[in-house]
Amino acid sequence: MSTKINRRDFLKIMGWSGVGAALAGCDMPSYVTLEEGRETVTSYVHPEEFVIPGIGVRYASTCQQCPAGCGLHARVREGRVLKVEGNPSSPINRGKLCQMGQAGLQHHYNPDRLRRPLMRAGGRLQEITWEQAEKLLLQRLGPEASLKPGRVAWLTGTVSGHQAVLLDALLESLGSPEGHYVHEVVNDVVSQEVNRELLGDPLPRYDFGAARMILSFGADFLGASVSPVHFATEFGGRFRGVWNDPEAFRKGAFLPERERGVLVQAEPAMTLTGANADLWLAVRPGTEGVLALGIANALLVKHRRDASMLPEEVRRLVARYDLDTVSGITGVAGDLIVRTATWLHERTPSLVLAGGPATGQEHGFQAAAAAMLLNIILGNVGRTILPSGEFPFPQLTPRRGGTGDLLAFAEKASQGAVDVAVVSGTNPAYTAPAFVGFAEAFGKVPFKVVMTQFPDETAQLADLVLPLRSPYEDWGTHVAAYQAERAVIGMQQPVMTPLYEETRGFGDILLSLLKARAVEGYQGFADYYAYLRHAFATFAQEFGGEAVGEEAFWRRVLQEGQLRVPRRPGRLQAKAVPVRLPEPRADTEFPFHLVPAARLGLWDGRHANIPWLQEAPDQITKVVWGSWAELHPRTAQRLGVEEGDVIRITSPQGSIETRVYIHKGIHPEAVAVPMGQGHEAYGRYAQGRGVNPLKIVDAVREARTGELALFGTRVQITKVGRRERLVRMGGAETQHGRKLVATITADVYRRSEGGGEHVA
Amino acid sequence: MSASESFLMEQRHRPRQCEAGRGAWGRGWWALVVLLCALAFPAVWSPAAVRAAEVPNAVPPEGSYDGKHVPQPIEFPHDVHVKVNQINCMYCHTYARRSPVAGIPPTSKCMGCHSVIATDKPRIKKLVEYWEKNQPPPWKKVHDVPDFVHFTHEKHLRRFVFNNPGMDVADVKEVCAFCHGQVAEMTVARKVKPLNMGFCVRCHEANDGPHDCWKCHK
Repeated sequence: MSTKINRRDFLKIMGWSGVGAALAGCDMPSYVTLEEGRETVTSYVHPEEFVIPGIGVRYASTCQQCPAGCGLHARVREGRVLKVEGNPSSPINRGKLCQMGQAGLQHHYNPDRLRRPLMRAGGRLQEITWEQAEKLLLQRLGPEASLKPGRVAWLTGTVSGHQAVLLDALLESLGSPEGHYVHEVVNDVVSQEVNRELLGDPLPRYDFGAARMILSFGADFLGASVSPVHFATEFGGRFRGVWNDPEAFRKGAFLPERERGVLVQAEPAMTLTGANADLWLAVRPGTEGVLALGIANALLVKHRRDASMLPEEVRRLVARYDLDTVSGITGVAGDLIVRTATWLHERTPSLVLAGGPATGQEHGFQAAAAAMLLNIILGNVGRTILPSGEFPFPQLTPRRGGTGDLLAFAEKASQGAVDVAVVSGTNPAYTAPAFVGFAEAFGKVPFKVVMTQFPDETAQLADLVLPLRSPYEDWGTHVAAYQAERAVIGMQQPVMTPLYEETRGFGDILLSLLKARAVEGYQGFADYYAYLRHAFATFAQEFGGEAVGEEAFWRRVLQEGQLRVPRRPGRLQAKAVPVRLPEPRADTEFPFHLVPAARLGLWDGRHANIPWLQEAPDQITKVVWGSWAELHPRTAQRLGVEEGDVIRITSPQGSIETRVYIHKGIHPEAVAVPMGQGHEAYGRYAQGRGVNPLKIVDAVREARTGELALFGTRVQITKVGRRERLVRMGGAETQHGRKLVATITADVYRRSEGGGEHVA
Repeated sequence: MSASESFLMEQRHRPRQCEAGRGAWGRGWWALVVLLCALAFPAVWSPAAVRAAEVPNAVPPEGSYDGKHVPQPIEFPHDVHVKVNQINCMYCHTYARRSPVAGIPPTSKCMGCHSVIATDKPRIKKLVEYWEKNQPPPWKKVHDVPDFVHFTHEKHLRRFVFNNPGMDVADVKEVCAFCHGQVAEMTVARKVKPLNMGFCVRCHEANDGPHDCWKCHK
């Protein structure tokens, strides 16, 4: 049949569909009407004294849209959560909340949420009751299940707090204490390893207020990072000199207390942090470490910084990276390297960070170690990089991971060494690169359970799907990986009754399994809430003080949404190690570097089913509802493509096709494709939209940690010859020669009286 | 009749007040009439009649609407509660003075009296059935404004009752009647006022209420 429709056909179809709509309309209940007697008004049976219909009540909880652990205030009216905002008393986010947190409502009210358990029968997933689901689960994981040691694998996202305690106990009881795999696409596994080895602390605390300058090698601390809202308040407030005291800031005292800090960002493709930088350096992908050594060289040679703390071997290494060599390798102009070094020299103490594309290489560890070398030369360790201290409850601290764990999980599964696999809080069937062969590996597991709120890609592969309650309906405790000055245990409480009865909380499922397996110490608890109450009763003795009763303590924790806990002070070392950085290799077959860009929005794809975040323009390109590939204007010219032209990006592992977006915020040898789109499942808003760059990521691993080198993929680009409209908000980037705004070049400005050291 | 039709009909029956006197002069004219009435007639009227009919410092809004009878799960007799037993509206609709919405009284409030009063009546037996199932009766909504209209009971009660010199809170039903009609004469509530924009604006003009668009459309 021809796909072309003429006008007559079109009108016919429209006529019939109009009749269909009208017929459907007969039975459709009208929920929004002014007509009397159509809508129901429901009163309370027993009203709470503090509840007034029409006026919202706020409940404190903890955000679950990413693992940062921000505190929430949820406004609830007539039993429905309507708005979430940051909790002002949370030291992590100080009353702020990012767009992902705000959009959590659309995960909660998402029309594609799973309402009943699903079981695979006859090759298809079919709805069953919880009784049936529980029976199935107990057959495989209950006391009668004959499980051999080490044959259960549990793949999750970041888990912390009492859920982690229960999960540990359960895996221990199942004979697979090593069976917990933690997968996060946006991770800092390599940085943690560098910090652990050179500083003796995997995630130290950064004092933005003390730093006069930040040099960041690809670390998108304002966007896709371990605690984006916290870093954004620190950066915008203390670092830029707007405020120094969070309390004063809350009261509206915008007093500039200090000079404005300078941010220099070196990365292959502009991130949200890069867009906020005073000087943005487009560095050739994978050469960030070389740039760091070049700046170290300029500090030691040009500014004669003291290098006595460095071993002789390291000093010799730095001496090899002179300006011309470094400029040649990195593609960064020599004067910009000198300017950065001069700023660092003048603005002590400073803060040098590495992450994202710098660490996501085969030599990522070495690049981050080179950046740390700068911190050591500049004396930042102990001044702007502080020990994180020891969290008093190690059993509650987050279990973190990257893609390395996913690779290990898939390998074990493909060897047939897993009898039961449970996936919760992560969607590996979407995030796993094609080379992993996740679907085949997962398929070799005889019994696969997926706990999720949504019909995601991994759920499509499962034998049993258990629908979870939303974070606004469930209990939990969360400990953030990055703790601010004051450490807290974040409290998550239900802010409304569950929308769907046939769903269960994650903690409740774990507890019921522990009870079924008769694990000692868990028998007395009716549900996860009772378990948490018991846990906090012990906290009450420790933190409540004598005057505070158990009940009052519990209420205070719920009201504040967190429990402040003291940390034991820690110590940092500063060890300089010689780094080994490879010469960048030219690849004639695959000349470009793929940058799978994570954004504070769709993140690793987990938010693609949120229409608000699909609709929110991308922070750099302002594109909505789709994928694109960022190219430098020079590259675009060489390839002969314009904005909207479709290109094919091919790596050794496959190819994707998407539309070109041209801008200068990218290195000419890089092509950036944002993560998050290209879902094959995951509901009506996510699926069939855009492409997933993770699929073509090459099998390159970071040498030291074994973590997937997310930014180590080489690709080739070909023009497809098709055009698609790029839907983006915002205006033109040129003035069309009309001088709408008078401009002078940065160089002229720098030389004029307005210049000086504040101008990049 | 849809809302837009009722609005048009309302427009047709609208008194030609704009032509009669524009702006402040128009309002002054109304005030003069009210003042004259107040001055001239108390001696003639019986005090009881005055008490039942008048809200001081207020011009009741004009307009009517012939709403349909809405069957409710329990045929609640407003007349028995208001006229016979003289219960203040705000005793049950207690949220009206605190919130944008007046609220349906919680079932526990009904049972506060009806666990001992009139327990043998069929309607009360029906109420007890709901109560024992721990469910509120599924009342049908009668009065409503569109979602783009921000109406608040609390502000209107403050203007016409609590911050209104000479107003007795016991007479609050006369203020409620501005928009809800004489509920004391009804069993279940019936919509007898148009509650459309013309109705609101006329009352705001007559009583010097706020005129900004965003007061209601925010």
